Amino acid sequence: MNNGTHAIQLRAITKTYKNGSLEVPVLHGIDADVAHGEYVAVMGPSGSGKSTLMNIIGCLDRPTGGNYVLDGEDVSHLNDNQLAEIRLKKLGFVFQGFNLLARTDAAKNVALPLFYAGVGTRERQRRAMAVLEEVGLTDRAKHKPNELSGGQQQRVAIARALINDPAVLLADEPTGNLDTKTSADIMELFDKLHESGRTIIMVTHDENVARRARRVIRILDGLIVADEPASLIKA
Amino acid sequence: MMYFSEAMRVLLANPVRTFLTVIGLIIGVTAVVAIQTLGHSMAGAISETLDVMADNSFMVFLGGVQPDYTKSAIHLTDLTDIQATVPNVASATPMGGTNDLARHGHNVGRFSLTSDTNPPFNNAPLAFGRRINDDDVSNGTDVMVISWQAYKRLFPKGGDPTGQSIYFGSHRYVLIGVLEKPRQGLLNSQFGGDLTIPYTTFLREYNRDGRFGMARFIVTDPSTMKATEAAVIRRIHELRHVGSNVQYQTFDKATLTNGINGIFTGVTLVVGLIGAVSLLVAGIGVMNIMLVSINERTREIGTRKAIGARRGQILLQFFIESAVLSSIGCYIGMGIGLLIGGFVNTFFIVKLTGYTATLPYMQAFVTTTIFAAIVTLAFGTYPAFRAAGLNPIEALRYE
Repeated sequence: MNNGTHAIQLRAITKTYKNGSLEVPVLHGIDADVAHGEYVAVMGPSGSGKSTLMNIIGCLDRPTGGNYVLDGEDVSHLNDNQLAEIRLKKLGFVFQGFNLLARTDAAKNVALPLFYAGVGTRERQRRAMAVLEEVGLTDRAKHKPNELSGGQQQRVAIARALINDPAVLLADEPTGNLDTKTSADIMELFDKLHESGRTIIMVTHDENVARRARRVIRILDGLIVADEPASLIKA
Repeated sequence: MMYFSEAMRVLLANPVRTFLTVIGLIIGVTAVVAIQTLGHSMAGAISETLDVMADNSFMVFLGGVQPDYTKSAIHLTDLTDIQATVPNVASATPMGGTNDLARHGHNVGRFSLTSDTNPPFNNAPLAFGRRINDDDVSNGTDVMVISWQAYKRLFPKGGDPTGQSIYFGSHRYVLIGVLEKPRQGLLNSQFGGDLTIPYTTFLREYNRDGRFGMARFIVTDPSTMKATEAAVIRRIHELRHVGSNVQYQTFDKATLTNGINGIFTGVTLVVGLIGAVSLLVAGIGVMNIMLVSINERTREIGTRKAIGARRGQILLQFFIESAVLSSIGCYIGMGIGLLIGGFVNTFFIVKLTGYTATLPYMQAFVTTTIFAAIVTLAFGTYPAFRAAGLNPIEALRYE
């Protein structure tokens, strides 16, 4: 094992929230490695610390203790702007609720991270069209979110997450707002992205969705209670 | 620029709200620009009107109710004395006037007649002939310069009337000049009387006792005119042997101009106050709507932060949104203000004064831009910082 082969290295990650004088420990020491190209599902009941862990992995929050190395870079103690920079360059987010900008067409939504990265208009447009093609939405580039189906909106969101060619794609219940058929389509898209070498970490509570991953990490009360290949999940 | 188009998109997505937010700014800036425009036109009109008055002369007149006019009135001998003893006084001439019927042939009119000298009190250009010259003054010749109104009345057929006779009362004068038609309007009404004759002639015909309520002084050096005015007043008091209960007042172009400028300074202050109050009220409206907008878009801000927007970038976005919002209101207000100013200028000021003012576009633009900048800075900064300071995790969770 060396850093070069790992997208994510978590060592003794703890997180304690302070509420006045009250300290609420949420993560008690998480150790996990995710190699480049892995497809991992994170599962756990609500209150298990799963969301907190995802926030730390997503560089939206800092761990109270322990070390987090993302794509070879220790991000445990960065400040807000440095974390924003990491999110911009190394992470792609897919949310349950899509979180697209209203009244803004698909291509512009997809290109938004490049805007914050300071990429010029023409280059943004070109790269947005390239990732829209990857998710099969070239013909919807000029459509606004309210003109797209839920599945299409989630594809736009995935395209947005991919546009900066992130080291890790983080998906939080990406099929939570979709019907079964559309969910299946989206899961197929994730399969395809995995096959093309993307590193994917997905939070879900749906065993059927988790089974599509290659590895399942289960969290309970702030600790990893199981870390197993998805093939072990019973149908 | 993407921040700008983003701001436009957001503001135009809710046009009614945007309009209601900026209406206070529109009203405030409209008022300020309109009054600024009018002030500019009025000041221009008045200053141009005053141009017919000479810079190097002032008048002294007997003010208030006089217990003993014979004693306090300025006497011809006082003027001779002052011209000889008070430095800087180049000439001192009495000013008198009277009214009577003037007649040329069958054409008759009642006109005021005033005494004048060379250089004349009224610098207005001539339509015909010449002005009263030094020879007329020293010889007391029976010559007359008349106003355009008098010319129209006495010479309805037009043509050059110089050399013709005019009777004022029973006395006959030779017409030597006609003043050009003055601009229409109240402010440009004739300075002095309709008919002017040399003051020496006036003394002989209408004022044998040599006492006047008014006199005109021409100075050599206009820069020390105020001191000269004071010296003249002192000398008149001495010569008349009157106490400080008798007041002689002075009147000159600078005093008049200062008085008018004082009025405009007052108007400017009032406008500034209106502006400040409207800025405050409108600015609070802008801040309120920005805070509402940020609240509504909490998830959007969370998303932007999650995908890598830095604090400064969010700050800039909302700051520009405030700036665009303020600018929309302010520049619409500027447009309406200039329209109102232009309208009043065309239909009232030009009619009243004959002075065609150019609208102060540049001045209005500068005022408006300062307004927009102040509103943005004072009321857009806090919402922008609030948006930028949102925690992305909480913002994403916000329903």
